[in-house]
Amino acid sequence: MLPLAVLSYTTTSAAGLGKSATARTLREGRSALTPNDLPWAPLDCWIGRVGAAESVDLPKSLDDFDCRNNRLALLALEQDGFSDAVAAARRRLGAGRIALFLGTSTSGILSTELAYQQRDPATGRLPPGFRYDTMHNLDATTEFVRRVLGIAGPAMTISTACSSSAKVFCFAERFIRMGLADAVVVGGVDSLCHTTLYGFSSLQLVAPDICRPFDAARRGLTIGEAAGFALLERGCGELQLLGYGETSDAYHMSTPHPEGDGARRAMTDALVRARISAAEIDYVNLHGTATAANDRAEGRAVHGIFGTTVPCSSTKGVTGHALGAAGITEAAISLLSLEGQYMPGSPTTREVDPETQCTIALRGETRKLSRVMSNSFGFGGSNCALVFGKGM
Amino acid sequence: MRIAIEAVGVLAPGLPDWDGARAVLAGSPYVAAPLAPCAPASLSPVERRRSSPTVRLAIAAAEQALARTVIAPHDMALVFASQEAAGDITHQLCEVLAGSREVSPTQFHNSVHNAPSGYYGIAMKAKLGATSVCRGPWTFAAGLLGAATQALCDDVPVLFVCYDSPLPAPLSEWMPVAEATVIVLVIAPKPAATTLASWELEVGPADGGVPWPRWMPSGWRANPSARGFEALATLCAGPDAKAALPLSPELNVRVARC
Repeated sequence: MLPLAVLSYTTTSAAGLGKSATARTLREGRSALTPNDLPWAPLDCWIGRVGAAESVDLPKSLDDFDCRNNRLALLALEQDGFSDAVAAARRRLGAGRIALFLGTSTSGILSTELAYQQRDPATGRLPPGFRYDTMHNLDATTEFVRRVLGIAGPAMTISTACSSSAKVFCFAERFIRMGLADAVVVGGVDSLCHTTLYGFSSLQLVAPDICRPFDAARRGLTIGEAAGFALLERGCGELQLLGYGETSDAYHMSTPHPEGDGARRAMTDALVRARISAAEIDYVNLHGTATAANDRAEGRAVHGIFGTTVPCSSTKGVTGHALGAAGITEAAISLLSLEGQYMPGSPTTREVDPETQCTIALRGETRKLSRVMSNSFGFGGSNCALVFGKGM
Repeated sequence: MRIAIEAVGVLAPGLPDWDGARAVLAGSPYVAAPLAPCAPASLSPVERRRSSPTVRLAIAAAEQALARTVIAPHDMALVFASQEAAGDITHQLCEVLAGSREVSPTQFHNSVHNAPSGYYGIAMKAKLGATSVCRGPWTFAAGLLGAATQALCDDVPVLFVCYDSPLPAPLSEWMPVAEATVIVLVIAPKPAATTLASWELEVGPADGGVPWPRWMPSGWRANPSARGFEALATLCAGPDAKAALPLSPELNVRVARC
């Protein structure tokens, strides 16, 4: 494939609002996770909460779209001059030539969950003011972002659980290649809700303490919320999308293939598309959710391709697992690592599980980085690997 | 953007398969009939029990299309498109979460939008890329573009499944999908001897609304997948038949048979 230039990007998670706050947290090797203090979900676990999103006001004209997910989306759009960069592209190319692909797994489901607590006992109806289509349907955030940014090209919501907002990059490349758009806004937004907190708890995958990816004593994942966006255009730039790979495990709905077969094929495909060898990757940002099955499968797959020479880390201990927004969050972290020539570590990991086969960097370090890979794998065995690089 | 249509699958009340749908699209009267519960042959008894009715619906329709093509299921990438995908599960989950909060693990993994493509991939050993997409009322056209771009860019056949299943009250107030409809296309990047027809797809301005087919039950207007019947009608009409599919308030996808 021809590279796509990353003209602008932004990330908002518990680790920070925008790029510089996030980069600072990563360099400090600090976890932004906190003990769960959500009054509506009293579970004994930790979370990655973006408290600032809760008080965001939506424009009056978009009142129907008001939900936690869209507040978080708007907060993220306002960081790093991202909306201005899209506005400039819109003036240059025309609104109809800019496409939009967003990933989410639960959209604004919290609104529906809360509305179900207030159903009319006689009629079963949901409270006035609630709107399912614009506050929760999976497309609600895509339509909201489209209106906020004033772009009018083809748009779509990609929802493949935890690989959702990695796969948006693949759609962007294909739509640009086929001439359906000149530029694409990609991104992902997922916010804290009952469904994922109680759902992952039912699978016994939520850690009672902070998540510790690849740690010998890890006890599961920590759920976070995040939003992020990138503006992509055909051609070269200082930062580029060089390759991507998408595969399916075809193995189990909620457990990865034990040898990471699908993950390995996704990474290989991404390298082939980028026309580079494994040795040319300087750092791998792992999916690394801190569940034993996921970490081991990914570790085996990564080792199969990169051996032990390429340093890898999981930043889930910093941000939490943002599920449908994990792909864009870690794409942004990969881009930050290229920009800052700083490889983030895995700050909550203490002692690496001896069964791990790839090389886990516990501490971050300044390092020459030209090309990095970011992995995202989801329920249903949906895998995506992305390769980003520094331009000439 | 030119794609080849290799096979079609259809499931809707009164339209049990592509042959049934083709007759109606060619002018035979539509006769309403309830849709029988789906029991896809490719799902193991365990997966059949675990999966939701929506999963079984989408896979049963996909099986129809597979039976009509020489392309093996494991050679196809997947694009599954649905406005809701799991509205019935969302409803059940929200009821549980408003009460005991004891979510069942199966219910939780069935709640993801890509559950149908996930179950399908497991059943068919389909290991290429699988994507699950949504675009509200414009889901059919958006999903079709996603499938077509993938087929052409990766030079790979794509199984495109667009489906809607009924939403229970109270969610049906906003999305009144009362009956299930599914359209499945096996899309190839290049025509072959087995190709039914090729479609030239073009994105253009919306120029006002797109009318619904006159034969179609008006209740199906809540189903974005039912937009696909206009496109299927080109397969039953003359060689230069055309259709329009709404892609957004501003855009349509124009389908021209060629």
